[in-house]
This record gives sequence, C-alpha cells and structure tokens, in this order.
Amino acid sequence: MQTTIQTSEPSNQVTARLLGFWRTFRKNRGGIVGLWMLVFIILVAIFAPLIAPYDESSSAQTSISDIYQPPSANHWFGTDDAGQDVFSNFIYGARVSLTVGFFAAFISIVIGGLFGLVAGFFGGRWETFLMRFTDIMLVIPDLPLMVVIVALTKPSLLNIIFVIGLLGWTTTARVVRSQTLAVKSRKFVLRARAIGAGKGHIVSRHILPLVMPILVVQAVLVISLAILNESALSFIGLGDPTTLSWGQMLNYAFGRGAMSTGAWWALVVPGFGIVWVVLSLTLLGQGLEQVLNPRLDTHHLMPAKPTVRKEAGEQPAGKGSLLDVQNLSIDYVTEGKARAHAVENVSFTLKEGELLGLVGESGCGKTTLMLALLKLLPAAGQIVNGRVYFKGQDLTELGEDELNKVRWSGVSIVFQGAMNALNPVRTVGDQIEEAIIKHLPDFPKANLSARVTELLDLVGIAADHKDHFPHQYSGGMRQRAMIAMALACNPQVIIADEPTTALDVMIQAQILELLDSLRKKLGLAIVFVTHDLGVVAEMCDKVLVMYGGVTAEYAGVDVIYNDPRHPYTQELLKAFPDLTKPKKKLSSIPGYPPRLDALPSGCRFAPRCPAAFDRCKTEQPALHRVGANGHIASCHLIEASK
Amino acid sequence: MKQKALYVLVLVALLVSACGGGGQSAVVRIGWAGSPDTLNPGMAILVEAYTIFELVYDSMYELNLDGSFTLSLAESVSTSEDGLVWTYKIRDGLKWHDGQPLTAEDIAFSYNLYKDTPEYPYMNGYYTPYFDTIVATENNEVVLTLTEAIPNIESQLIFLYVLPKHVWEAQDKLEYENFEMIGSGPFKMTEYVQNEFVRLTANKEHFATPPKVDEVIFQTFENQDALVQAIKTGQVDMITEMPNTAAESLKADENIELVVGAPLAPGVTDIIFNQTDPENCPTEEGGICSGHPALRDRDVRLAMAHATDKQRLIDVILLGLGNPGLTLIPDGLGVWYNDSLQDYEFDVAKANQILDDAGYADTDGDGVREMPDGSESLTFRLNWPSDSINAPRMAELLDEMWAQIGIALEPQAVDPDALTAQCCPAFDFDIMIWGWASDPDPSALLYVYTTEAIPSGSSETGYSNPAYDELYAEQQVTLDFEARKDIVWEMQKIVHDDVVYIIPFYDANVQAYRTDRFTGWLTGQAKVELADVTSLVLIEPVK
Amino acid sequence: MDTPPMNRSRALLQKIAWSIFTILFVIILNFFLFRVLPGDPARAGIRDPRLKKEAVEILRIRFGLDKPVINCFESLNPIKVGSCDVNPLDTQFFIYIRNLLQGELGFSYHTNRPVTEILSERLWNTVLLIGAGQILAILIGVALGVFAAWKARTSLDYAAVMVSLLAWSLPTFWLGIILLFWGSANGFPLAGKATPGMSSMPLLQQWGDILWHMFLPTLTYTIVYMGEYTLIMRSSLMDVLSEDYILTAKAKGLSMFQILKDHALKNAMLPLVTVIAINLGFTVAGAIQIEAVFSWPGLGSAIVEAVGRRDFPMLQGAFLLIAVAVILANMLADLTYTYLDPRVKME
Repeated sequence: MQTTIQTSEPSNQVTARLLGFWRTFRKNRGGIVGLWMLVFIILVAIFAPLIAPYDESSSAQTSISDIYQPPSANHWFGTDDAGQDVFSNFIYGARVSLTVGFFAAFISIVIGGLFGLVAGFFGGRWETFLMRFTDIMLVIPDLPLMVVIVALTKPSLLNIIFVIGLLGWTTTARVVRSQTLAVKSRKFVLRARAIGAGKGHIVSRHILPLVMPILVVQAVLVISLAILNESALSFIGLGDPTTLSWGQMLNYAFGRGAMSTGAWWALVVPGFGIVWVVLSLTLLGQGLEQVLNPRLDTHHLMPAKPTVRKEAGEQPAGKGSLLDVQNLSIDYVTEGKARAHAVENVSFTLKEGELLGLVGESGCGKTTLMLALLKLLPAAGQIVNGRVYFKGQDLTELGEDELNKVRWSGVSIVFQGAMNALNPVRTVGDQIEEAIIKHLPDFPKANLSARVTELLDLVGIAADHKDHFPHQYSGGMRQRAMIAMALACNPQVIIADEPTTALDVMIQAQILELLDSLRKKLGLAIVFVTHDLGVVAEMCDKVLVMYGGVTAEYAGVDVIYNDPRHPYTQELLKAFPDLTKPKKKLSSIPGYPPRLDALPSGCRFAPRCPAAFDRCKTEQPALHRVGANGHIASCHLIEASK
Repeated sequence: MKQKALYVLVLVALLVSACGGGGQSAVVRIGWAGSPDTLNPGMAILVEAYTIFELVYDSMYELNLDGSFTLSLAESVSTSEDGLVWTYKIRDGLKWHDGQPLTAEDIAFSYNLYKDTPEYPYMNGYYTPYFDTIVATENNEVVLTLTEAIPNIESQLIFLYVLPKHVWEAQDKLEYENFEMIGSGPFKMTEYVQNEFVRLTANKEHFATPPKVDEVIFQTFENQDALVQAIKTGQVDMITEMPNTAAESLKADENIELVVGAPLAPGVTDIIFNQTDPENCPTEEGGICSGHPALRDRDVRLAMAHATDKQRLIDVILLGLGNPGLTLIPDGLGVWYNDSLQDYEFDVAKANQILDDAGYADTDGDGVREMPDGSESLTFRLNWPSDSINAPRMAELLDEMWAQIGIALEPQAVDPDALTAQCCPAFDFDIMIWGWASDPDPSALLYVYTTEAIPSGSSETGYSNPAYDELYAEQQVTLDFEARKDIVWEMQKIVHDDVVYIIPFYDANVQAYRTDRFTGWLTGQAKVELADVTSLVLIEPVK
Repeated sequence: MDTPPMNRSRALLQKIAWSIFTILFVIILNFFLFRVLPGDPARAGIRDPRLKKEAVEILRIRFGLDKPVINCFESLNPIKVGSCDVNPLDTQFFIYIRNLLQGELGFSYHTNRPVTEILSERLWNTVLLIGAGQILAILIGVALGVFAAWKARTSLDYAAVMVSLLAWSLPTFWLGIILLFWGSANGFPLAGKATPGMSSMPLLQQWGDILWHMFLPTLTYTIVYMGEYTLIMRSSLMDVLSEDYILTAKAKGLSMFQILKDHALKNAMLPLVTVIAINLGFTVAGAIQIEAVFSWPGLGSAIVEAVGRRDFPMLQGAFLLIAVAVILANMLADLTYTYLDPRVKME
C-alpha cells in the first residue's frame, strides 16, 4: 500500500514555516514585549544564585531587629517576617513559581490535548464520553476541589503541580477538540484517509502539526492560570511552606501582619512578580493568537479619512441631473505600505429614471467607487480628489450627520451578496421598519407594518415572511428583501452592487426584471454594478467601463456595444455571447487586472492589451472625448486616430 | 448610563451610612478572628463559644485572672467528711434574662442534663464523669454527690454553665441551636449572626457584676492583619489576637495599649518526639509506630535540646513575646508550674559532645550523623499542621540549628486532620511541631504523658514511664492542695529529665485596646484576657 | 426552513436529562470525594486530652460514621474492607442518598445547625457579592470593550487593552489585600457584610450599610473579571463591526450610536454569554479569595472552613449547590443565546 502522498514535511519546510511565523510574530508589538518580559524573568530564575545578594530563605543570624526592615542599601526591597531579604527570596521565588507554572501547564496541556484530539478525531462514543466528562469537570468548582485534594495529599510542591495540572485541562480539551474537528475535514486529511493511511500516521503527520499552534497558545494561557492558582492555594494556606514561591511569600506576609505593620514591600514585591509573569504570558498568548489567527483590525465604524481635493471641480450639472460625479479619486492608505490608487479621476452623471451600468472585472474599483459616493469607504479609504454632487449638494463635503440624512432617503444601496448584508439576529421586517423610522419620522407608526408588507409585496415576498429572520430566507429572497429595504424611504437613486452574483439564473432574471420595473414605476435612477454585459445591454441607458481604477470608456449603451473604442471594452464584448452575431468566437482576456498597489506605470490595461504599443507602457492615456453624446474613452489609440 | 446610576447608588449608600451611627450608648466593639461554632453549651468545642458562654451564663464558680476561684451562683458550700457530697446554697432572688427566677432547680436540671447526655463531648465526657446524683432541695440548695472524691471540683464546675430549665426542658438537647440564649450572666444575647458578629447588651441587674457599658459586640475578622488595621483605624476598641509581628507598630500608636501576658487558657507550643517503644505500639487502634529509633534514645533528644536556641525561636517567631518553656505544664498555670526546673542551656558544642559520646558519628562524611550501628542516618521527618503560619518558620530555624549537630530534617506541612490521623495513636512520624491549650487544672495535660494515653490518642510521644503513671494516679485523688502540688512538680521533673518534648515557648496572649475609648481594662493580673467577663464588667467609657 | 417544534423539545429534554445525570454524578462524587480525606470528622481536627475516646465514639454514632461507608467497605481512609453482607440501607452511602431524596442535607458536624439553613445564609451573601461584581464587571467590561473596538487602533484602544490585560493578570487576593488597606485608611470597613447592630435601623440605612461594606470586595471582584470581558467584547465587536450588515446599517443612515445599539451589541454579546456562564464555575475560586480577605461571610469561606473541619454534610451541600447553580447558569446561557441569536433555534 502506498502511503507516500504527503508523507512528511521535510525538516527544512518546517524550519521555513517557523521562520515565516517568527517574521510575522516579530511585528506584533505586544507579543514581543511579552516574550522579552518572560525571557527576562526566566533568566533571573536560572541565574538566581548569581543575582541574589543573599542565600535562599536564609534566616541565619537574624534577630528581632531584622524583621520587616524597610528597603535599604543592604536590602533593596526590605526584609520579611523572618528577617530574610525580600529581594533574594523574590529571585529564588521566581524559580518555584515558574516551575509550578510550567510543569502544571505541561500536565494540563498533555491531558487536554489528548482528550481533545481523541474526542475530535475518533468522534462517536469517545467524543461523547470525553466531552461529557469535561462538562462535569466544569461544573465542579476547581479551587474548592483543589482544597480537598491538597488536604488529601500533602502540600508538597510536586503534589501542588499535579493538583493544578490535573484540574486545569478542561478548556484545552474543548479548544483542541474543535480545532481537530476543523482539521479533520480538510482535504489532505481526507485524501490520506482515503488512501488508507493509519490513524496514528494521520494524527501525527497531519492533524498534530495543525493543532500544535493552538496548543501552544493554550499552553501559554494555562501557565499563567497555573501560577495564579498556585498563589491562591498558598494564600489560603495550602501551599508548600518549605519552598518559597511568590504565593508563599504573600502567605507569610499576609499571615504575619505585613500590611498592618506597614511592611508593604513584603506584599507588593512578590505580587508584582506574579503580575509580571502573568502579564508577560498573556501578552505573548495574545500575540501568538493574533499571528496564528489574523483578524482584520478594521471595521466599518472607524472614522473615515478626511477628504482632500487637488482641484476645485466644476459646478454641478444642471437640472435633471441627480448624481454628478466629477473626477473622483480614491486611495487606500495603509500604514507602512504604499498608497494604493483604487479609483482615479472617474466622472459620470445620472439623470432621473436613468440606469447606468458600471462594468469591469473584479478588482477594478467598482465597489470602492460606489461606497465612496456615500462616504462608506473602509477606514483605509480616502477620497483624494473630486466631487460627488447629489441634487446639487456636494456629498464629499458633508459631515456624518448630514450624510446620514442623504443616505437611504436620497441614495440607497443594494449590497453585493445580501447573505451577510442583513443582520442575522433581527427580523427582515424589523430591519426595513428601522429605515423608515429613521428617515421618515412623521410616518404614522400604525401604518409601518402595512408599509413593510407593501414593500415586500413589491419585490414578491409574501407578507407572512415579514417576521422571519434572514436565515429563514432563501438567497434570492434575501436579495429581494434587500431591494425592498432599499426602496423603503423612496430614494431617488439606488446603487445596486452586483445584486445578482451568486444567485441562480432564474432568480437573477427575476431580480433584474424587478429592478427594471421599479425604475419604470417609481422613476428611480439606478447605478448597476456588474460584470455581466448581457444585463447591461438589456437594461442600461449608459455604461461606464472601469479598468484598474480608471475610466476605460463611458458612453450610451448603443455606442458601447456598437462602437467600442477602448480595447478593454472590445475584449470584454468578445468574451460575451451576442445573440445577434451567433457565429462570433468567444474569447476571454488573458491575464488578470493589475493589483492596486502595483499599477503599471503606463496604461493600466497595457500588459493585457492586444493593441498596446511602446507609449502605452510609459504614459497613462488621458480621457478623450469621442464624438458627441459624451462618449469618453482613455486610450492612446483614440488620440492617434483623431 | 447604567453604570452612572449604580455609582450614584453607591454614593447614596455612603452618604446614608455616614449619617448613621453615633448614638449615646456605650458600645464596646471587640475584634476577634473566630466565631462560636454553636451556642449550645453541650455541643460547643471552640474557645470563642466559651467566651460568649462566660458572658451570658453564670456557673457555680467564677475563675479569676489570678487563677483562683470564687463562688458565684452559690453563696456558700459545704462538703461531707469523705469529700463525696457537696451542698451548695444558691443565692436568693436570682433572675434569668427573661425575668423568670433562677433556682436550685435550674442548676440541678443543667447538671443532670450534662451528666445524662453522652453526646456532649466535654460536659459529659470530661466534666461530669464523677457525678453520681444531683438533687435540688426545697431550701434552694443543690446537693451534688460524687462517685469518688476529687481535688479539683472547682475547675470541674466552672464550665458547667447553668441553663434555664423552663427553656431547655422543651428542646431537643442535641439539635437546639439556642440562638435566643436565655442566661443569667452579666450580658444578654441580643443578636447573633454566625461568622459575622455577636451582639450582647448589659444585664444591669446582675447580682454580682453588673457591667458599666451598655453593649458589647464581637466582630469576626477572618484575617488577622485586618484585625490590627481595624484597631488602628478605630473600627474596633479591642482585639483579642494579632500576629506578633504587628505588636511593634501598635506599641507606637499613642491611642493603643498593647497587653502581653499568660493567656487565661495557657497555651504550649511543643516539639514532639515519637519515642514509642515497639512493645507499646497500640496496633489495635491503628498504631504504625514508624518513629526513627534514634529518637528513643534520651541522649539524642538531650543533644537536640541543647542545640535548640529557644530565645532565637521566640525572637524570630513571636518577636520576643513569649517565655521559654520546660514541660507541657505552662507557667500560666501558676502554682502548678514547677519553676525550680533548670532548662538545658543552648550549647552546640555540648550537644555535639553528647552525640559523639553516644556513638552517633558521621561515618560517610555527608554532614549527617549515622546510628551507632551505621544503619540509618539521623534524618528525621518533621511535620506540622498546615494551618499554622508560625510552624514553617520554626521548621526553617530548627533545620538550621540542628544541622549544626549533624541532624537533618525533612520538613513537611500536613493538613491538621491528616496530621491527627498520622499522630495519635498511629505514631507514624518522627518529629512534629504542634501545641496544646490547657485547662485551669493541670490534670488534663499531665495525662498526655501517661502510658494509658498511648492507645487513647492523647499521647503524642508514646512516652511510657511506670513511675510517672503512678504519680499521675496519685495526684488524681490527693485532696490536699500542697501534697498534690508536690506530686505535680515531681511529675514535671521526671518528664523534663527524660526530654520527652522540647517546649520552645509558652505562647503569650497578645492583645490590644484603644485607650481613647474605654478605660478600666483588667491588666495587672497573672493572666491576660481582655475579652473575659472579669474585664468587660469593669470597663467604662473614657469621658 | 422552520424548525419542527419536535426537535426543539427533544433537544431540551436531552439537555435536562444530561443535567440530571450530571447532578447525580456530583451527588455520588460528593460522597466519596470527602470520605477519602484523612482524619476523623468526629474529632474535627481537635486534639484535646479532655476529649475522651468514648466521647468521640458517641459523636461518630451520632453522625452515623460508625456505619460502614458502603457494602464491603468499613472506611475509605484508611481503607478498611468490611463485610459485604450488611444491609445496604444501613450504610452511610444509602443513608446519604435517602436523606437527599427527602431533601435533607443533614446537620453540619461543626456548627450543629441544618446545612440548608447555613447554606442559604451563606449563599445569599455570596450571590450578593458575585452578582454585584459580575454585573459591574460585565457593564464596565462591555462598555470598555465597546469603546476600545470603536476606537480601534488608536492610543485609547491600546490603553483600554493594556488596562484589561493588567487587570486580568492581578491575583485576586493580592488586589483585595491592597484595596483593603487602601480602603481602611479611607474609612471603608475592614470586615463583614454589615455593621453589627444595624438591624434596628431603618431598612434604607441597613442597605446603605451593606452597600458600603460591599464596596471594596465588589470593586476587587469587578476589576479582576472586567479585563476578560473587555477583551472578549472588543474582539467580538471588532468581528461584528466588520460584517456586511454593519455597512448596510451605516448606508441606511443610522447614527454610530444606533448602529452599536441596534445592530452590533446584541450580536457581539453572544461569545460573552458563553464565557459568563462558564465563568460562574470558576467564580467560586474568586469568591473564596475575596471572602477570605474581606471576611465576607459567604459560601467560599464556608467551604474552606468545612474542609478544615471535615464537615461532610456542609461540603456535600455546598458542592451540590454550586453544581446545580452552574448547570442552571449554563441553561440560562442557552436560553439567552436563543433569545440573542434566532439561528440557534435551528439546531
């Protein structure tokens, strides 16, 4: 039987992974601080005999006058209740406390890891048994249980390590189990199983390496808990008084009147040690966790970057124009990285009842552009030029409060992938009502429900679904509900950001029809973001083709289809089946759109352009007017042909 | 928003409580570290319970701080020739706190209750075994007939608190919680919250000692450091205990007076040697008798006694507040304490000499001596109860001291109950640090040295000496005070000569009171106990 | 898409059955766990030459300790094998079970009072302390977590996170001692739950007094637990706030406050609910330490004392009570979960 697939990770690969890990970790400030704090105290513990000015818990030659002496040149942190040097005991105490922490955590991690692995990997009865057992352990209070067990055994350091270790594994078992479950269903594990690899092999070669990182994070946290537990046990008099841990130092100080005597040093110094170690471990654990489990450190409520403007811009277009976007440019600004020019110099106008198609491949800046219209950009996004006039008012100039008045009541958005665009814990009806209440404060409360029903009816959702939660909707229903919500406050403009992706063809058609009919019925202006040229051809009045963040071409729909001037538009059309020209050969554009942080220096389409020449590689083409009717395209070829 | 509301609530609470308090009545607030286990005198074990009983109940005799007894409920007593029949004439006009008259009937009822309830561990087991009959006569007399004549009837009767028949008759004598606690003593029970406080008000009509203050409150502080802080900040007026380390800082406070002396129930800290002879091992009672053979050799114990610097132990552990000890009979027992004994002087050279002469030599050069036959090294297990905060410090010091005479220790704290199981009558240890509290009569602690106590679990050392046993039996029935005293002194000499224990010190009672609150605390006595009734009825507010 | 009600009630039944099993397990464990402790409850750690062997024997009979632990075993520590022919109903184990079935927790060996009575006194005090502490910790933790998430990646955020990490790293008792001595110098009471003698005062004043006594222990408790809640709340809210529906809410023109309140908080609370429920089991450890420092007459100190005194009935009662409380809390957490997250009902 062949089991050589995914045999093992060569050691250099492991080293490489570790190195990669270290490189990421190094950037985590908290984690690094924690690591150094920990290394420092470990070194102190190891070299205790060299550092400590006095012998370990030596009370030789002490007399009454030595007891609770305040800090002095001889005793940097004073003396304790037996006249011993607090500083020396603190240093030796580090040894004991760290030993307890590390060994107890080791026991907990081994047990918890084993239980978690077995439960997660084998499942079935094993899982039921082990997890039920874990549940029971969680029900029994741990410290009282420790009290009982320490009373049963003798309070020696070894016993305390065992007690803490044997009771501290529950969380680890839970965490490891869920990680194992997740890893188990990964492809390569399934493949190895299909090939018939032994269970031991799978666990040791495939699962353990992926569970290990979690185990390490968990270990770090368990060590800190063990140290806290040891100190708590010592404090209630159940520690081992013959080995002077920090907890034991505190026990003596507390039991022998340090505070009321005024000998704060005897309490503060060992307590500080515990805080130091626990804090270092927590920082380290947080750092490791962040590296292993990277999260976005941004969210939608972070303040937007202030708008800046290179040029003054023109006056808004005349009447009948709802939306007038002029020379809009948007950058993404991330600390430590080059600015990414996501959108540059894009302009378009939208009149009442008009439907503008915004076309381009993924990553062309379409969504960024749409979000910028209502200043909904993520925190890194910044409008660096241009204006967005909505009914003559420049939205880029407005503050949040004023914008909130325009949002939804003037311009509403149907988001891409309505799956997550609806709040899962509130009913759909409720979320629609909310918009109405916000923007139409005078709307009679009694009619709210009827209005929601009406809106849902408009998009073809039965009234009884009003009080359902989004997860009870199908994908298409959610998208339609989203549209209903977008209509709730009678906006003049709706931005529909790829409302039909990820839906099946029938539902796509329904939704498109719906939007189109609403436009006609309500006189809405719609910006329709898509990469489906068929839809554009069918519905739109105007088309804006974007590529790499800039306008490739902007014209009426007939012009675009019949007289495309930009090679990108032409290539796009080639990739689109045209019923009128059934014999046309379909072709796709080779390559990918440029990354926004690595734009080509010349024309952004040049690397993929079949008609590119030298100039395209060095110089970015300007926007050229082509004929009348506002047909615009950015291509050196147009200039040449003029 | 909600937090703000809560914060306001706390502030309101602070204002409210700041406005409260005050009042005109003289309330003594006493801080202590314990709480009575039960208010049922028959079932009580903890000393805190007895402190409250002393204040709320009366008994036949009162124990004074100088160790003497005076009649309390009775105005006179007469004894029969053979010492078996004791007739007490009870005072007239005595009243219970609820107004009912207290008569000989109540006393006879109480004594019979104690005598007939075997579940009362002390009252029945220790204080009434010699009782034959107790009868109340019509003349308001109590006639107590004993099964044999005993020399210490007073100390037998002081803890037999007199209970009201009209209350107790109707109660289950085991389960009765006695929270109302109708007594006749100088203080009445007003409010009791277990583990929080005991609140007593003065019984100004008390026949002998009506208190001058109006109220006494005992408040429980689970940690002693807080107790010291409480008297410093004036939250309490007196504290019954403290860590000795805090004594210095209290002395420095001009409004606080520190009082140090022998406790009312004298305490002994002892270093116990397991010297059980295998022949005496109480195997039937679970005896294991694993003691180190060297400890059965008086020379070894003597050498260790010479190598023990008691003064340093007292200095470091008690901050000097204690006296070096001799035997289990503490100096606090007054006349019973044999002060003619000469302690073994601290002399390491002499100690080493004794061991050298006895043939314990360090043959393998590891710094620890071996048995004369070379079989075992002189390495002893040293145990102490894990709830003691002083014992581990003592273990540290002993380890250093005895290392100088080639004796090694393996120190180990043990849960107190586990230690009891290990100690007696199992004798599964080498050396222990522990302690005793004493009855006013020496008999209880003298019993600990007897052979009879080995299987009963009271003997901790397994020490057995027929001569001593005989003397013990003799003092039990010697009615003449001086004659009994001589025997008791002789017994102490025997056990001191045999170095049965090393007694590092007799614990002193260290208490403190605020001088700016109450005055008149009874301090100049042989013993110190500010929470005793004798003191609490005397004090009055500072004007 | 709707869940058939059948499944839901079956899941509930399963849950209840499991809880009952857990409680049964705890009941049995309780019995044996304490009986393997060395020492004799009849002597309760008291060595006293006045305590005669006979007296101890009578106490053993009174506590029922003279009976075999269970068939074939006279005692568990030291292990003494006995006759297997004894009437099982006359063994300590079955008497214990029978009493429990009758709702009897027995008499405390040490205080000679019914265990139920002591437990209810102590429980109430601990609930007061833990309740106030937890509520404050949750409120402050949530507020600080929300604040940190909202101000993510600013120095305010870092400060909030550092404060939380530091708070989490403090040993409970140590913080308690330091606060106790700081407080005592500032007029706060040093021990107990109320000033003795307040019972004659008007109710408002009594409560004021209790709140005053509660202040420091509650503060300790709050600080120690607050950090964890802040961190959880922050990361959970960060996750929620980067969800698409928050963008929707923002596009809808809702204000920052409305978005937090109506769209983010409820969702972000979900992980917190689980942690709070699990914490309840661990919270007893905190209670033990705080009660010891502040002489708070609660369940925690009662347990520690009962271990020292080998007060089996108290220990059995207290452990059972805690187990039931934790199980109830977990059920409550499940209920809260279903209330907070409609998706859970599907399972």
